[in-house]
Amino acid sequence: MLFNFREKLNSRKFLVTAEVSPPKGTRFSAPLEDARQLKGVADALNVTDNQCSIMHMSSLAFSKLLLDQGHEPIMQLTCRDRNRIGLQSDLLGAYALGIRNICLMTGDFPTCGDHPGSKPVYDLDSVQLIELVRKLDSGIDFAGNRLDGGTSFCAGAVSGIDPEKTMQLIKLEKKVRGGADFIQTQAVYDVGIFEEFMEAVNHLEVPVIAGLIPLKSLGMAEYMNKNISGIHVPEEIMLRMKDASSPLEEGLLIASETIKELIKLSRGVHVMPIGSHKNTPRLLSMAGISEK
Amino acid sequence: MIITSAKPFEEILNLLKNEDNIFVIGCNVCAAKLKTGGEPEVLEMCRRLEESGKHVVGWALPTAACSIRSFESLAEKNEKINEASCILVMGCGSGVSSVASVVNLPIYGSNNTLSLGGSGGGKLLSDQCVMCGDCTISEYGGLCPKSQCPKALLNGPCGGSVDGMCEVNREKNCVWTLIYERLKRINRLDLLYVSHAPQEHGFK
Repeated sequence: MLFNFREKLNSRKFLVTAEVSPPKGTRFSAPLEDARQLKGVADALNVTDNQCSIMHMSSLAFSKLLLDQGHEPIMQLTCRDRNRIGLQSDLLGAYALGIRNICLMTGDFPTCGDHPGSKPVYDLDSVQLIELVRKLDSGIDFAGNRLDGGTSFCAGAVSGIDPEKTMQLIKLEKKVRGGADFIQTQAVYDVGIFEEFMEAVNHLEVPVIAGLIPLKSLGMAEYMNKNISGIHVPEEIMLRMKDASSPLEEGLLIASETIKELIKLSRGVHVMPIGSHKNTPRLLSMAGISEK
Repeated sequence: MIITSAKPFEEILNLLKNEDNIFVIGCNVCAAKLKTGGEPEVLEMCRRLEESGKHVVGWALPTAACSIRSFESLAEKNEKINEASCILVMGCGSGVSSVASVVNLPIYGSNNTLSLGGSGGGKLLSDQCVMCGDCTISEYGGLCPKSQCPKALLNGPCGGSVDGMCEVNREKNCVWTLIYERLKRINRLDLLYVSHAPQEHGFK
């Protein structure tokens, strides 16, 4: 029996989502080919919105291309590039084209990317964007005008996983109160910390899909520890990466062990490999997750 | 206080490349405090312009470049302004505009205007206010996220800060960390749970 992502969220099934990126240019066969490896493996595919502020094809267009190939996209939408008019019109367009899942976030600052001089918009923040989507769902726009056909989105949000960061937890609470249907998190390496995070947000009663970035090298782990907010690769994993004869294989093994732990703690995993999804099907099978 | 920084002298010289008989106007308030338009900077500017082959007809230092009564009031300070072919204002953007509103000559600014700031506890504070016309600073314990958060986030921090420092500038504190600490100190953490509506930009 076919289930869509929203129905799966409400089921007891352990979910797999994976992140794919639109091309930088108009040729889309290579990223579609990469996504094809996830057929029967992932329940839905997150489509990034100009990730790291590096200009790419729009997440809306690539989500539609994925939809046409039989994938279920989760269109990511950031507050960085559009004001409330642009956000709403893209959301209406996405819904009309058949996109049913979205994931809403603030977005990296333009200076992080390849067009550092572009105007940062942030007319709304991520909490306000979730509230806006709930308005569109009720058939009215932000200004209170009636729509000729509203939306019915399955709308997610993102969160860090540090249980000590009270401000982040309060913001997450506002996102859930604003109507977030699911949460996808920053990459988990320390399952103990993630368990504490899950205890801290347990009262929110929202499905949490845990982020996962398989390590490829010790250098990558060191870089993330130093530069990426909310990522903490513990010492024990650093040592395993250091001693590994094949860091790539060790990274996959560590990730598969993490997934096995996460099955007990979260509603699913969100796989965000650096580069292609070549190893994602194998990673999931190592973790004992059978094909869908 | 309006925070300004001085443009590189070469840039100023390039602005004035087709000009001569320059009259320099400083500002004895913010720009003087920041050393971008007080008397020593005005005198230094006159000297360097002359050194570069430009003729400076004179200079004046009104109390505030952003508050000029009339052309006559400038001429009262220094009548040489009547011989000028152009004006160089060493103030903020508002100072340049105010002088332009009373002088019918080409006008140039020597500074970049950065933000509305101030000083507190002996420290220079930048980006204290964006003059949005709809003040909600008390909701945040006296620190404005519209001005101090580069993304102007009203409901809490983005996911980008590392060790309490801003994603955009790792040398600067994330204002949401400061807001949290401050609200904790004044026992008002309850304010953090309020969901704020977006800023209305249309009318001021």
